[in-house]
Amino acid sequence: MDNFALWDEYRQVVRSYNGGWRIGKGVYCHGHSIMDDLVGNISYMQMIILNVTGHLPERRLADWFEARQICMSWPDPRIWCNQVGALAGTLRTSVVAATTAGVLASDSRAYGGPRTIIEGMYFIQEALHDYNNGLTADDIVQQFCTRHSGKPTIMGYARPIAKGDERIAAMERVRLSLGFDVGPHLTLANRIEQVLMEHYDEGMNINGYVSAFLSDQGYSAEDASRISTVLVSSGVTACYVDTMKRPAETFSSVRCEDVIYEGPPPRKVSR
Amino acid sequence: MEVVENAHQSGRVSVKRRDETFAKQLKTRIWQEIPSDSNPYLAKACRCYGYELFDLMQNCRYSEVLYLLFRGELPDKDESELLEQLQIALINPGLRHPATRSAVYAGVGKSDPAHILPISLSVLGGQHLGGAEVEQAMRFLRRASHKPVEFTIQQDILPALERRDTVKADIHPVPGFGSHFGDIDPLVSQIARHLQSLPASSQCMAWGMTFASEIAAYNIGWLMTGLVAAVFADLGFQPRAAAGLYQHLCAPGLLAHGLEYANKSLSAVPFVDDEQYQIEPPVDG
Repeated sequence: MDNFALWDEYRQVVRSYNGGWRIGKGVYCHGHSIMDDLVGNISYMQMIILNVTGHLPERRLADWFEARQICMSWPDPRIWCNQVGALAGTLRTSVVAATTAGVLASDSRAYGGPRTIIEGMYFIQEALHDYNNGLTADDIVQQFCTRHSGKPTIMGYARPIAKGDERIAAMERVRLSLGFDVGPHLTLANRIEQVLMEHYDEGMNINGYVSAFLSDQGYSAEDASRISTVLVSSGVTACYVDTMKRPAETFSSVRCEDVIYEGPPPRKVSR
Repeated sequence: MEVVENAHQSGRVSVKRRDETFAKQLKTRIWQEIPSDSNPYLAKACRCYGYELFDLMQNCRYSEVLYLLFRGELPDKDESELLEQLQIALINPGLRHPATRSAVYAGVGKSDPAHILPISLSVLGGQHLGGAEVEQAMRFLRRASHKPVEFTIQQDILPALERRDTVKADIHPVPGFGSHFGDIDPLVSQIARHLQSLPASSQCMAWGMTFASEIAAYNIGWLMTGLVAAVFADLGFQPRAAAGLYQHLCAPGLLAHGLEYANKSLSAVPFVDDEQYQIEPPVDG
């Protein structure tokens, strides 16, 4: 067999696990007829989850995701991804360029969702495994600190700019109103928060809460990340719209002298 | 598991701004703008690491100023030549490359031409033969090149070959080295030999050449990402600059092919028939 036989199997064909458009017959998504079964019957968030996981989730879980999406994007241009949207507006890009640039900015190790949730879910799932094998929440925190130069920089706890996270209380209300119980991951996440509060004065953040809740719902970190792709988009768009309404280049204007130069002194190219 | 008291539910968690000091002004070592006398928002001159822009324009090649931007000093003649030749080697990934094809679909789809590069460069950022792999390969080469190639073969290559799937997909047992479409890429090997012959080629290129030669017996060798990483490392660039620099150097070809299709009709690219569009049973994962 040729070494390139695999690629010949994919040549001049398109293969899909998802479904697709059968022209004149219908449009299908994981066995569902989109026009006959889904349009008008499911929420957009259910559709997003179906496209990621291949499974249609119950409506209340999609509603939970939608509430979380609202928590994760605010129209404040000081937030890093939103600033990208605002800067795009001040240079008059298209709204799509601005919004996708902001979404790309949120693909970050420090904030956002698509990337941080993977680490957050890995942590709490491993922590529950350790807990079930006899470690206490205190042991788990101490073990983490030992491996990380004594610092409790656990993904899902603490946050930039502020201490405390108002989004968790909001999502707790949503959880209760939708009738979801607290599962073992979220219980442990709360216990770890107690330890961190007691020893380091740091609490859980929304990523830690979401990571624990979705682990309790049986989601993989990868699927949770994929569902979270455009978490920040609405706030980015809002910041773009704001600066589009103002004169060009007026978003937080910068004079030459406002930038401090710290490089080498003037010199000449020697040839 | 016992029920844990939930402070969030009871509304007892307060939110307070951290006592952090944020910079009042931006700072840079790279670029200095001298304000004009009449308007502080306009520059009358600018300098890159101390060199006046017109001095650079009149006395330097583009590759030299590119090097200056990322290293803080102008390259010597040999370093400049190595970077210049790498720039030409990378100028077009070719029409079959997935990043180029994304540029073509942006072009033929009448996407705003300003979006062709952001679209295709995003595709070029991936971990398989993309910018992310160049960064990983730089980190790998900077470590591995201090040890004999035999060490890496024993530690990484042989175990990876043992784990290899029966499906003959490509493997990259270490970043930047492996198979491409099942075999050693002959063009990349040829470019590597040429670049290694240039005077500025140094430790990482030399180690990579020996390594590629030793692993050829397993039908794996240099990948373009590994080759670029070796040159970047020998030129002294930092790994975190690797993905973006690689994207930058490949950008002209992506844009050219995208624009080549921007005036063509939608039928200028394949849209496979339903018979060739195969819906397969779902898989998890």
